[in-house]
Amino acid sequence: MEDAQSGNQPLRILIADDSDSDRLILQAMLRRLGHEVVEAANGGEAVERFRHASPQIVLLDAVMPGMDGMEAARQIKALAGERLVPLIFLTSLSDADALARCLEAGGDDFLTKPYNRVIIEAKINAFNRMRLMHETLSHQRDLIHEQHRKLTEEQEVAKRVFENVAHTGCLDAGSIRYHASPMSIFNGDILFACPRPDGGIQILIGDFTGHGLPAAIGAMPVAEIFYGMTSKGFSASDVLREINQKLKRILPAGMFCCAALIQADFALNQVQVWNGGLPDGWIIRGDGERLAMPSAHLPLGVLDSHRFDAAMAILQTSPGDTLMFMTDGVLEAASADGDMFGDAGVSAALQGRRDGQTPFEAVIDRLCEFSGGRLEQDDLTLVTLQMAEGGALEGLSDRLQLSALEGPAEWRCTYEIRDRTLGQFSPLPLLLHICMEVPGLRRRSGEIYTLLSELYTNALEHGILGLPSEWKATAEGFGRYYEERERRLNDISEHYIRFSLTHTMTDYGGRLVVVCEDSGHGFDYHQHRQPSGSGHGYAGRGLMLLHRLAGPLTFRERGNHVEIVYDWHFSEAGKTDDAAVHKPGVSHE
Amino acid sequence: MPIQTRRSEDGRTLTIKIEGRFDFSTHQAFRDAYEHGDQEVKGYVVDLSDTTYLDSSALGMLLLLRDYAGGDNASILIENCNSDVRRILAISNFEQLFAIR
Amino acid sequence: MNDRPHLDEEALAELQDVMDEEFDVLIHTYLSDSAERISSLRSALDEGDADALSRTAHSFKGSCLNIGAPRLGALCMEVEEAGRASRLSALEPLLASIESEFRQVRQGLERFLAD
Repeated sequence: MEDAQSGNQPLRILIADDSDSDRLILQAMLRRLGHEVVEAANGGEAVERFRHASPQIVLLDAVMPGMDGMEAARQIKALAGERLVPLIFLTSLSDADALARCLEAGGDDFLTKPYNRVIIEAKINAFNRMRLMHETLSHQRDLIHEQHRKLTEEQEVAKRVFENVAHTGCLDAGSIRYHASPMSIFNGDILFACPRPDGGIQILIGDFTGHGLPAAIGAMPVAEIFYGMTSKGFSASDVLREINQKLKRILPAGMFCCAALIQADFALNQVQVWNGGLPDGWIIRGDGERLAMPSAHLPLGVLDSHRFDAAMAILQTSPGDTLMFMTDGVLEAASADGDMFGDAGVSAALQGRRDGQTPFEAVIDRLCEFSGGRLEQDDLTLVTLQMAEGGALEGLSDRLQLSALEGPAEWRCTYEIRDRTLGQFSPLPLLLHICMEVPGLRRRSGEIYTLLSELYTNALEHGILGLPSEWKATAEGFGRYYEERERRLNDISEHYIRFSLTHTMTDYGGRLVVVCEDSGHGFDYHQHRQPSGSGHGYAGRGLMLLHRLAGPLTFRERGNHVEIVYDWHFSEAGKTDDAAVHKPGVSHE
Repeated sequence: MPIQTRRSEDGRTLTIKIEGRFDFSTHQAFRDAYEHGDQEVKGYVVDLSDTTYLDSSALGMLLLLRDYAGGDNASILIENCNSDVRRILAISNFEQLFAIR
Repeated sequence: MNDRPHLDEEALAELQDVMDEEFDVLIHTYLSDSAERISSLRSALDEGDADALSRTAHSFKGSCLNIGAPRLGALCMEVEEAGRASRLSALEPLLASIESEFRQVRQGLERFLAD
C-alpha cells in the first residue's frame, strides 16, 4: 500500500483511440511509466475490454467511429458501479461545450493532443491517489456497516439477556403496573420486583448515569444482589447497603445509579421507602390524598459504605393506597414544542384523575397526550404498586426449587446475637436458610420466615427496646415509634436475643420448635389474653399473625421466653395451603 | 468557549465557569479545565451562573472533579445555580458532598 | 495563411526518445493512416457528407498534432470547422492544400527516418 500511496504502483490502464498512431504514442508513454496497457480502437471494443480486463484507469478518445467516447464512458461508469474508475478523455476538442459534454458523460478530466509526458504522468498519479482514497473510504465504510450490524445484533442478544435478568421477578403480579420502554435498559433504566419470604414485596427502580452498554452493564450485579437477597429475606436496608458497596467498587467515579427501593409489607400494611436521587415518589391514598416521598439520599454507588445511609422512611398504608415511582425520563418527556412534562405534569395528571382511572393510567395517558404519542421512543420508567389486604402475593414458595436431596431430619441449633449487632444485623435470612434444609419445610418458607421475623421483632422492639406497641395506634405515634426505635438501637448494651431451633420427625411429618429468648424485662403475659383478629390499630398484629400461623405460644419466665411449635404433615408438604396445625390459642405454664 | 477558567490572585483557587448546557458534550472541556491546572490549586469554584441546564452526566463530572481534588478532603464550592439546576442538585442530595451556594 | 512549420523537430526528437525502436513503426503507421484519411476526406466531400468530413478531419488533426506536424493539423482544423458549419463549397482548395502539405510532411519524415 505504501507504493500505492506514493502513486508509483503499476496500474492496468485501458486506452481507446481509433487513431493507430496516437494509440502507439500513448501506449509507449504509459509503458515507460511502468503501467500495463490494454488497447481498444473504438467505443464498443473499449466497453468489452473494460468488462474483461478490469483496468484501474481508462483513457478514452471522445470522437470515434461507431460507439463514440461519450457513450462508452456512460457504459463503463455503469459497469464500474461503486468502484471509482477514473476516466480521462483524450481529445483535441477545443470548444467548451464539447468538453462539458465529456464531463457530463462521466469523464473525470481531459488530456489534450499533442500529448505531454509530464502532464500525463502527473494526471495518472493524481487520479490513482484519488482512486486509492476512494477504495480506502469504501473499505472503511463497509467495515463500519459491518461493525454496526454486529453491534445491533449484540445489543439484541444483550437486550434479551438483560430482559431475563431484569424481569424474572414478580413484575407481572396483579398489584404492580409498570411502563418501561423496550430499549430503556440501554438508557440505564432498571426495574426489578421480587417477593419476600413473608409475603411482602420489594421493588427497585433506578436510572444509571450515561447511555448505552456502560449504563446497562451495572444492571447485572444490581439484579443479582437484589433478587438473591430479597428472596432470602434480607431487609431493604441490607439490600441497599450491599448494592451501594458493589456499585461503589465497580463503577468509575463519575458513574452512579439514582434509585428508589420500596419494601411493602401487606400483612402490616406498611411500606418502607428509600429514595436516592429519583424524582419524588408518591403515595396516593384511596381518597385521592397524595403524599410525596422525595429523594433523601445520594444515589447508589457514590458514597463509601461507612458513610452510606440506608435508613428507610416507614409509612403506614391502607389497602387501596397506591405507591408510584418514576425515573427522570418521565419528567423530561418533551412535547412537540420542546416543553418538559415535569413535576407539574405528574401533579396535574394525578389531580385530574377520573373516576375509575388508576394513578398509573392517569399519568401514562397524560404523558402520551403531552408527548404526542411518542412514549415508546422515550427512555422512561414508571411503576405503581397497589397495597392490598395481607397475603396479596401468594405462591412464592412454589417458585423455590425443591432439592432432590434428603435434608436433615433430627437437629437442634442455637443462635445468639448480642449488643451492637442487634441493631446492625438481621439473623432472619440465616435462620430461614437453616430451616429450608428440611425438604418438608421448604414449601412453607413464607410461614417460617414470618414466624421467625415476628418473634424477632417482638423480642427486639418490645422485649429489649421496651417500645410500647400502643404508640403505633395513631399516625403521629407511628412515626414517633420508629424514631425512638432508631435512637434506642444506638445505645444497646448488655443485651441478647437467642433463638433455639429444634426439629424432629413425627409419625405424620415433622415438628419445628422455635424458642426465642431475650434479655429484656419481659411483660405480664398473664394479662395478654388472646389477641383479637380485628385488633385496634396496629398493636398486637404480630402476635395475632403468630397465632394464625402456628397456634400455641408458650411464654415462660418473665415473659421474655417464647416458644412456638410448628407441625407439618407429609401429606401437605407438597401443597401450598395453610399448615394443619394446632388451633389458635394461648397456653400458659 | 462554553467553559472558562480563572485563577484567583494568590493562584490557590480555580474558578470554572460553564455557559449554557452542562452535559456530556462538555465532558472533555470540563476535565481539561481542572486537569491541566498546576499543583498550587487548593480549592475549586464551579460557577453555574450562566448554566441553563445540567444532566446526570454533569453530576458525574462533578464527582470526577471531587475525586481529582481529593475525594472527601476536596474543597469545592458550587455557586450561582438557577432554580432548575438547584433542583437537580437537591434531588441528588449533592449538598452532602459539595458546598452549594 | 498558415505560418506554422511543416514539422516540429523538437517534438519529433522527443517522440523518437519515447518510442525508441518503435519509432519507425509509428511513422509508417502515421503515414499510411494519413493517406487513408485524405482519401476518406475526398470521398466525403464528393458525397457532400459534412458530418463525416468534420469527424475525419478531427481525428486526423489529433494525430498530426501528436506526430509533430502542426501546419497539417491546423489545415485539418479548418476542414473540421467548415464541415461542422456545412460550408462545403470552400473545401475543394483546402483539401488540395492538405494533400500538398501532406506531401511535404511525408518527405520531411522520410528524411528524418533516414538520418
